[in-house]
Amino acid sequence: MVGFLGRRIGQGMVVLLLISLVTFFLINLAPGGPSAAARFESTAEERAAIQKQLGLDRPLLTRYGSWATGVLRGDFGATLSGGQPVAPILRQRLGTTLQLGLAALVLSVVIGIPLGIITAMRRNSVLDHSVNALSTLGMSVPDFWTGIMAILLFAVTLKVLPASGLADMSAGFSLSEWLRHMILPAGVLAFVMLPNLVRFTRASLLEVLGADYLRTARAKGVREGRVIVKHALRNAFVPIVAMIGLILPALLSGSVIIESVFGLPGMGRLAVDAALGRDYNTIMAVTLAAGFIVILTNLVVDLAYTVIDPRIRHD
Amino acid sequence: MPRMVPLLFSSLVVLSAGLVSAQDTGGSINFATTADPTFNPWSPTAFVESNLINELIFPGLTRWDKNLKPAPDLATSWKASADGLKWTFNLRRNVKWSDGQAFNAADVAFTFNEIVLKKELAANGGSTWRNAVTKVNVVNPYQVDFILSRPWASLPTYLGYFAGILPQHKFAGVTDPWKFTDFNKQNPVGTGPFKVAQVISGASVKLVRNDLYWGGKPKLAAVTFKVIPDSNAQLAQLLSGDLDLISVGNPETVERIKAAPNLTVDLSTANVYYFVALNQDDPRFQDVRVRQALLYAIDRPAMIKSVLKGYGQVATGPIAPVQKGFYTKNVQQYPYDPAKAKALLAAAGYKPGPNGVLQKDGKPLIISMPTAAYQQLTPISLLVQQYWKDIGVQADLKTLDWNSYIQQVIVKRDYQASAAWWSTPADPDVLPYYDSSAANVGNNIPNYKNPKLDALLEQGRKDTGTARKATYVQAQKLMATELPYLYLWYPQSITAYNNRLTGMRGVTLPADFQYAAEWSVK
Repeated sequence: MVGFLGRRIGQGMVVLLLISLVTFFLINLAPGGPSAAARFESTAEERAAIQKQLGLDRPLLTRYGSWATGVLRGDFGATLSGGQPVAPILRQRLGTTLQLGLAALVLSVVIGIPLGIITAMRRNSVLDHSVNALSTLGMSVPDFWTGIMAILLFAVTLKVLPASGLADMSAGFSLSEWLRHMILPAGVLAFVMLPNLVRFTRASLLEVLGADYLRTARAKGVREGRVIVKHALRNAFVPIVAMIGLILPALLSGSVIIESVFGLPGMGRLAVDAALGRDYNTIMAVTLAAGFIVILTNLVVDLAYTVIDPRIRHD
Repeated sequence: MPRMVPLLFSSLVVLSAGLVSAQDTGGSINFATTADPTFNPWSPTAFVESNLINELIFPGLTRWDKNLKPAPDLATSWKASADGLKWTFNLRRNVKWSDGQAFNAADVAFTFNEIVLKKELAANGGSTWRNAVTKVNVVNPYQVDFILSRPWASLPTYLGYFAGILPQHKFAGVTDPWKFTDFNKQNPVGTGPFKVAQVISGASVKLVRNDLYWGGKPKLAAVTFKVIPDSNAQLAQLLSGDLDLISVGNPETVERIKAAPNLTVDLSTANVYYFVALNQDDPRFQDVRVRQALLYAIDRPAMIKSVLKGYGQVATGPIAPVQKGFYTKNVQQYPYDPAKAKALLAAAGYKPGPNGVLQKDGKPLIISMPTAAYQQLTPISLLVQQYWKDIGVQADLKTLDWNSYIQQVIVKRDYQASAAWWSTPADPDVLPYYDSSAANVGNNIPNYKNPKLDALLEQGRKDTGTARKATYVQAQKLMATELPYLYLWYPQSITAYNNRLTGMRGVTLPADFQYAAEWSVK
């Protein structure tokens, strides 16, 4: 196991290095430049001065070298859109995205897996078809539209939930306030992610439902609930966990739109703003953070397999 | 149970104290902005998301009155020397910065000499100032002289256009003002009616009343700007009451807003004009008949109806009707006339080609037309493409993101035609956008060079009174005939706000924000 972990961590570091190289050269060679240097009303002289201030007049390789040296020392540089250190901004934004992503994941798992189980058990029923139709809707409707519609319904028409923003925690943490602000964005994000989980759970379960060992269990007189949860689901769980592992990075990318629509200061919105404004240092930091999260998620999922299915070993 | 009585009583006391205090503080309002602002109007990283907020924090020497003419703000009066090369400004006394320090002439001199006029800093809009202003001298603590290299009659107007004064004492020892993030991003100090109380990156900026404001206690207690980049989300929040005012970028939503009984839609006209620039480095566009033909071919009233839903009027030049003292409509007009467009192109030597595209000397009239996926530029370009196609001109569109567009069109001038807009102060001095010296390197995007126009615009900077008007009328006539840009329209600025907000002057948003101390809530 230790060898496996060491190998995976080593591979992860190589992947991060490659991500940094590819991203750095791609964004720096892409057309356009940082907003300060690409201002509509600036003169050529002003643009040259800004390029110099931002150090963009140095060769690309030199810039990558100084950026990478900084990162190894824990310094991600300063934003090109305001000169602030990138690391604290990233930490703060990552916090919001994790809140949103985890809330959406919990909602997806809590609703998606039971729905998948029920629809598998009642295949071709009205419920199965309804859930199937809803899943198709969730997968095909763009999340920004769902977000705006949710705001119009719950905030504008019914006036029961805030239209956007984070809860004001200046007076201390309040779970109800947090929920009030998080339920709409997390709900919309879950609505978009949920169909994958429902359909996957349903398909995985259907595969094992006809297996001999389940017939045997039923013949032994085991109650149906126990048959499903203890015997069927346990075997169907490996692909479901793999699916959750795939959903996590998707939640990160999904948060890009949701954060913009709901005015949440998260990493997704930071990434979009940085990409549009060619804020190279911020793009690099966000990309590395996202890469790190994906690598870590994959590792955790691989480790989770051993817990779910003792036959899987990482020796 | 008996113990409940004092508890209830004390709760009521607290509640009523709260109500009294709420009335006393004047309430608060919520606005939207699109990104984290930079609290420094001169920073190259301060864009549209920062401009209005900076107006509340950093007043300039002048501000605009209801007719968009310069009125006193931090300066109480001013006059120019006989040769127009020295302007003396008398400053307001007893003005304090929000940290309690006294404001004086040294702050004005610092702002211009150390920030705006320093070439290497490339301050926001700095080239406009360096074009005419050499330095600012302190005469005494309440008087400054602006020393000019060439006459500039518009100086007082420009001093009210996002030209806030910065506190010298806060920048003492700061080597790079753009990296002074404690000031620029968190704790700015200004002389305006509001000061920053809290910044939550990516979420909100809360401004509270500056009790030291020279104009008396502002009526509102707080103004919060929520960071909402998505315009649909802004609209939803206005409808839900979470926002009190938004700037409406999409005219199609106006009817929806008008239907809400608690909202008011306000229309105003600023000095903004949309245009199609034809790159004059391309010999085809150096023929004025071609430029005129391409404008005759565009049905601008129809475009205003479809793109702007009618909220705009056909443009005749860079001086908009809002400049009542200078605007003239007695210039050459270009009503939609495809037949005339074709005739002009034929006179210029273009004949129908085999595939319906006009050609001259065997070369088809194909125009590369980069555009940006930004605001309404793409639909505008598509419509222009269609109109030109009708007269046998082929425009090849390429849609880019905003920064790439700027690099290609503005920096490299790698385009043949492109639609964009200029937003300038309500002042007839448009020299930076038309002067030959600004071709290729400055704001003269079409690289248009005409010594006659250069001379007129230079003269306009020197003239005063009726002579100035006569010069600019002449300039407008020349521009309407010559078409350095193909003028499309003057759009109306649409603002929607909650009826509980009062005290808006209904001029333009930037001018309204200069009088924020007068805002209140019902």
